[in-house]
Parts: sequence; structure tokens; C-alpha cells
Amino acid sequence: MPSATTTSKKKVHLRSIAKAKPLTKVEMFKKMLADQKIIREAIQNGTSLEQLEKDHGFTFARLSHIPVK
Amino acid sequence: MALLLHAYPIFQLSELSYRFITDVGSEYNCSFIAYAEYFKDQPHNIASKFYAFNLDLVNKDFKSKGVDKRIADTVITIVGDFLNSKITAVVYICDNSDNREVARSRKFLSWFTYAHHPSNEIIQVGGAFEAGGMKLYTALLVHRHNKLKKKLVEAYLDLIDYGDGEK
Repeated sequence: MPSATTTSKKKVHLRSIAKAKPLTKVEMFKKMLADQKIIREAIQNGTSLEQLEKDHGFTFARLSHIPVK
Repeated sequence: MALLLHAYPIFQLSELSYRFITDVGSEYNCSFIAYAEYFKDQPHNIASKFYAFNLDLVNKDFKSKGVDKRIADTVITIVGDFLNSKITAVVYICDNSDNREVARSRKFLSWFTYAHHPSNEIIQVGGAFEAGGMKLYTALLVHRHNKLKKKLVEAYLDLIDYGDGEK
């Protein structure tokens, strides 16, 4: 349907504009704390970090095994 | 100097996180989240080198009592191992949800200032990030032999610059 396509394109377009806009320091500050809270609550609720990557677009470092000394 | 760390056993829960359990039964999850988005305007393509360290108590109702130095040793082991790549830098953001961020910042920085400790290999820069009337306590950790250390420190200082805190 033409109208649905237009809406979809518009949403994508708006999202890309929002992504391109640089964060102010206040926004950075809030996002750092908000992301930290999301991670903390997910861990306490038993949600995996893999799921957080899918749901929130986070990227976690791939870790190696730490040998026991 | 002999290795003085007495870390708790570290379990790799998945490719993305480590866990350890203290003697009194508190369980901690450790992970590193990419922080490139906060450094993307920096030159030399260093944004992808930044990660934030997360140390989260799994059992939220657990109340710890006293000081457990083995937690510090365990965190130093985990962060030290991560920085041993000599490529990455780690940012630590002090949670302020319980108004204990100043104490948290002081404690975290003290963990990496032990004398005669392998953490001598790690350079730390502590700083408070001010914006919109709020203050965020942070620290940067980078390996002494990281070839990009100067640029990484400069980028971090640029991020927490007081001069344009209200931007």
C-alpha cells in the first residue's frame, strides 16, 4: 500500500536524522547512566547481555577466558 | 614484585560477561560495553577502542558489610586482563542512583593505586563530568604500554572537559 510505504520511509528517514544529530553533554550524561541502569536491572532480572544487544543495540566486548592462577 | 592479588575465582558466564561470588555470597557480573558513540568525533579512529566497565551486583537485595579487598583484586584482574591487549581503554562511570558516587569513585580509583602492584601497568585518570548542573564521576584506565595512550587520554579529557559543560 502506498500510504504504508510512505509512512515507513518517513520513519526510517526521521530515525536516521535523529541518529546523525550529535549528543549534547547533558544527553551523553543521561544516556551513560540510563544504559548502566538498563544493564544492572537486566542482570538482576536474569536477562542475558546477548538479549540486551538485540533489544537496545548495545555492543559488548567479546571476552576471553581468564586463566585461574 | 610478586603477584599479590588474591582474586575470587572468575567464571565466564558467556562470551560477554564474567561472574564471581564473594566469601559472603554476593555475586557480581562484569562486562564491558562499547563506548564508541561518545568519542566518534575524535581523530585517529580511536572511538572503537573505548569501553565502559560494568560491575553489577546480581542479587540486588544483598547488603555487604565491611571491606572485602578480594573484590578489588578480582576487578583488577578482570580489567587488567582486558587492558592487556594494549589496544583498548576502559571508562568507569560511577552509578549515582544511591547518592554514593563520590565514595564509589574514590574506592575504584584506590583499587588501581596500590603500591607494588601489577596495576602499576595501568594508568588511571579520574575526572568528573559536569553537564546541566549534574556531575558524573568517572575514571579512565589504559595500559601503560598502549601505543595510543596519549590520544586516548586526550580524548577522555576532551569528553569530560569542564569548559563547555553546559553544551
